[in-house]
Amino acid sequence: MKLTVQLFGRFREFSAAPEIALDLPGISTVAEFRAAFDAWAGAHWPGYTPGLLKASAIATESTLLRADSALPADGRLALLPPVSGG
Amino acid sequence: MDTNLQQDALADARIACHVVDIADGRLDPAAAIEFVSDDAHGGIDVFIGRVRASSHGRECVGIHYDMFAPLALTVFRDTAAAAITRFGPKAKCYVAHAKGKLAVGDLAVVIAFGSPHRDEAFRGCREVIEAVKHQAPIWKQEHFIDGHSEWSEGCSLCGHEPADATADGAAVTHSHAHDHHHDEDGHAHHHHG
Repeated sequence: MKLTVQLFGRFREFSAAPEIALDLPGISTVAEFRAAFDAWAGAHWPGYTPGLLKASAIATESTLLRADSALPADGRLALLPPVSGG
Repeated sequence: MDTNLQQDALADARIACHVVDIADGRLDPAAAIEFVSDDAHGGIDVFIGRVRASSHGRECVGIHYDMFAPLALTVFRDTAAAAITRFGPKAKCYVAHAKGKLAVGDLAVVIAFGSPHRDEAFRGCREVIEAVKHQAPIWKQEHFIDGHSEWSEGCSLCGHEPADATADGAAVTHSHAHDHHHDEDGHAHHHHG
């Protein structure tokens, strides 16, 4: 599935671009995306550890997604590490 | 309203939510007070979050706020609506958060809550700022005087519950128990509050 993944907070340290385009085959749910993205990041991002992804939420522009949520049809996702606003 | 403010078009007349890029403008507490003012209101509580000059015992020169603005505005609106539901239908709420590179002394967040009586104003304002801190997709990167920068430890968002699980339809929920660390006011992590 073709995806556009927006990166925020600590994830920005791994990529100069604020969003990345990925083609991760054979996935349709958020849980499957987590596993596939973890493998991709481990292979492409020096210094990446799975803990950051595990502590992060996955969202669209309107809502957080549950593990069993279907991936959005437009393929646009945001990776949200632990938040620290205010 | 200034064009540099991104106003949430879905907000009702009792709620105003803004994200302000520091490159375009500054947060305006007077505008917050003006918005929540009403002849039916006897109390207005305002919280102003301001970048302070130290963190973890180290001197800071500023904070970079990163934000997922569309979802942040949804969280602002939903939490303001929940607070108004809880503390009175006549209440009004204003939420504005800055993004970009702020210097020491700059305002990071302004919350105003107006209601007929002071208790509801205090409680409504407190509820909304806590939600902004713990539920809104906002991240701060502290810049220290020695040239180092660090992303603040934060609070994991939770997508475990369906979006319609709460009575007010809040898209982001935070109602269940957590075992992670909350970066509460009074801890060294925070720059203001």
